[in-house]
Amino acid sequence: MKIVKEALAGTLESSDLLVKVMPLPADRVEVVIKSEVMHQFGEQIRKVVSQTLQQLGLLSGQIVIEDKGALDCAIRARVQAAILRGASVEQLDWSKLS
Amino acid sequence: MNDDIDFYTVDPRKNWDEGAEIQHMLTQCELDMEDGIDVFVVGRQGHRLVACAGLEGNIVKCAATVPDLRGESLSLKLMGEVIHLALEQGHLHLFLFTHPKNVAFFGGCGFYELAEVPGYVTLMENTPVGIKSYSEQLRTLAQPGKKIGCIVMNANPFTFGHQYLVRLAAAQCDWLHVFAVREDVSMFSYRDRFALVQAGVAGIPRLTLHHGSEYMVSRATFPSYFFKEKGMVGDCCSAIDLILFRKYIAPALGITHRFVGTEPFCQTTRKYNDDMKHWLQVADSESASISVVEVPRTVSSNIAISASEVRRLLHSGDLAKMPSLVPRDTLNFLSGYHYAT
Repeated sequence: MKIVKEALAGTLESSDLLVKVMPLPADRVEVVIKSEVMHQFGEQIRKVVSQTLQQLGLLSGQIVIEDKGALDCAIRARVQAAILRGASVEQLDWSKLS
Repeated sequence: MNDDIDFYTVDPRKNWDEGAEIQHMLTQCELDMEDGIDVFVVGRQGHRLVACAGLEGNIVKCAATVPDLRGESLSLKLMGEVIHLALEQGHLHLFLFTHPKNVAFFGGCGFYELAEVPGYVTLMENTPVGIKSYSEQLRTLAQPGKKIGCIVMNANPFTFGHQYLVRLAAAQCDWLHVFAVREDVSMFSYRDRFALVQAGVAGIPRLTLHHGSEYMVSRATFPSYFFKEKGMVGDCCSAIDLILFRKYIAPALGITHRFVGTEPFCQTTRKYNDDMKHWLQVADSESASISVVEVPRTVSSNIAISASEVRRLLHSGDLAKMPSLVPRDTLNFLSGYHYAT
């Protein structure tokens, strides 16, 4: 799966996160995470994000995350939504979204 | 909580009544209604207008919330709405200008500082990697040498004046970087302007022609440049553009000298040249100072060659003098342009 167009998911409100995805010219994945709770939960957020990307099998794209202290399930859902929008996926493989 | 606030979009040019209401709210918030805003996001609590933010292309303007509802995350909701609206209109990458005292606030909305005129204005963008990846990309195009020159030109259109400046600068430097202004709001399209610059500098050794970017002489860095017919330029606008150049672009390419032509006609460009000497050479900065070299314009049959003069002649249909003002490629292009319109 590759990001082929710019897309967004989420909000900037408390306990949520805003995920922006955009295409990259080369086949690589760049993840930038900014969080208000980076010091406490930075590692955990990074782990959830990279697991989600692996499950979806993302090969190319830039992902920028502005986190406002969201729970893991919210992070997973927002990242999935942004990527599926940006990758223009029409046939969903629901088993990969668990 | 703000769950009772409805957000929707307003075209200020079509909805006069709401436009006036927005203006009234902005005045309360000590902001002016700015020209050129294509669309507003507004928030209403019942009938009351409590929040608004405008978009001009990819620039966020006139963002405000009423004083009595501040501190309740209304503004985060507002900025979230603007970011989604902008993407619907095709803009993921956004810029905004604000007073430096508001930088921390917009930081909470995912905006990052690009350049500040201390005490006056700060330009921010909504990505932590925008200017960084642009600088890295430029860095791969750097060339070795002690004296590295740069010219940024709109070339609207490319004249013998531009060609003279480029040749003179290239001869003095170990390498010359030429940028064509990318913003597409001039008489001639970016594609045409770039093609004519390319043709006009072909064969000049030790030169790289670059595409312009949003980080130099764009609507974001230098809004008033493109409204120069008005004859008024905010001091701060050109400052932001020049601070960005000194802080990011020049270090990435190792630029030591910036070349400009003297400006006899256009006040905006003349002021830009004066500001350039201040912000690139004189002003305090962590970044190395860049020497500004102002080159007197070439003169043809007693008129200084300038693109604005070429446009004036083209408007009046007077093509007789053209061959002494513009190179062959521009001339061919202009005759086609003239007969097509």
